[in-house]
Amino acid sequence: MLELAPDRNFELLGEYAIETEYDIVMARQTVRQFAKKAGMGIVDQTRITTAVSELFRNMYNYAGGGKVLIERGDVESHDALIITCIDHGPGIENLELAMSDGYTSGMGMGYGLPGTKRLVDRFEIQSKINEGTTVRIMKWK
Amino acid sequence: MSEPRNVKNLKDRINRIEDILASVAAGDMDARIETEIEDDLSGIEAAIDLLIDDLTDELRQREKMQKELETKLKEIQEQQRTIVQQQEDLLELSSPVSKVWDNILILPVIGTLDSQRTQIMMENLLQKIVDTGCTISILDITGVPTVDTQVANHLLKTVTSARLLGAECIISGISPAIAQTIVHLGIDLSTIRTKATLQDAMIYAMKQNKRSDEMKVLSRNALSDEKED
Ligand SMILES: Nc1ncnc2c1ncn2[C@@H]1O[C@H](COP(=O)(O)OP(=O)(O)OP(=O)(O)O)[C@@H](O)[C@H]1O
Ligand SMILES: [Mg+2]
Repeated sequence: MLELAPDRNFELLGEYAIETEYDIVMARQTVRQFAKKAGMGIVDQTRITTAVSELFRNMYNYAGGGKVLIERGDVESHDALIITCIDHGPGIENLELAMSDGYTSGMGMGYGLPGTKRLVDRFEIQSKINEGTTVRIMKWK
Repeated sequence: MSEPRNVKNLKDRINRIEDILASVAAGDMDARIETEIEDDLSGIEAAIDLLIDDLTDELRQREKMQKELETKLKEIQEQQRTIVQQQEDLLELSSPVSKVWDNILILPVIGTLDSQRTQIMMENLLQKIVDTGCTISILDITGVPTVDTQVANHLLKTVTSARLLGAECIISGISPAIAQTIVHLGIDLSTIRTKATLQDAMIYAMKQNKRSDEMKVLSRNALSDEKED
């Protein structure tokens, strides 16, 4: 479970653990570099970097950390950057609620997940109570 | 008749030696020949058992050393992190709040805003507002590469806190890319006064200054008018 169908033709660019705020900053910068290498402009770079920042922070804040896979591959004829965030935290009880604007279980603004979805081209989320959460996003030029 | 039996016996024992050596080679360090017979071959068998003992000891030692090395490596990585953290803290210190003009404070922020740094930054700014009595402050985020919901949240809180202290806080230096991203995130910054560049913010702040000076003069005049009546 919690395995978003792995894609056959994606090239793995990197795999990183997110355990500290420092890890968040480093991984975020790495994503920005890959976006730049993939030929994305400053707006797209900013979008994908902000999107992953939200997901990393959620793993850090709610799941005690997790890991991230960065891949590049062909998605519907687009040269896409694919980022998968996997944690083994408490999971999300009500996905629909978590995905709605302004909902936060803590002290946040509640725009992280719905905002991330608006910033990227593809957004998938899976979560199971007591098992964890996996979010995969894709972005292309 | 006894000859072939003996030979068979020997063959079995040599097979056993081979088996044991194969097991050890495959990683089973508990395998031993442990012969009970006393003859010429048993000396060799005992010697092999001893060799396996030595080998096991050596392997254990190596494992222990590997573990120690790993712990050391972790410690070094930890130290490295601390150094990076300290460098970031230094960066934080190198962008202090300063009073650039009568009544105007400027806080240029450079680098990433993790929650710890934002906390310090916010406290510094608010303290400076209290200490100087300035009523306008400019928070310039030109040097901040990523504004996510957490950073935006901190910015909003800083502005609100400053307001409670009677100061207006202007945010400047939001790049077009970041502005678009904030809108997509869905965050409403319309309650904050924002300016594209630090220069724009300065011009605005000085205008505000002039206006409040004029107001002071007006109200002073009004007061003295009242007295004359
Ligand atoms: N990886 C996760 N594991 C467990 N719960 C999560 C995870 N990610 C999000 N959530 C839950 O979903 C809620 C909504 O997440 P979202 O990122 O949209 O908002 P937030 O983190 O509360 O605030 P913001 O991101 O605006 O600072 C969170 O408050 C939290 O309860
Ligand atoms: Mg969040």
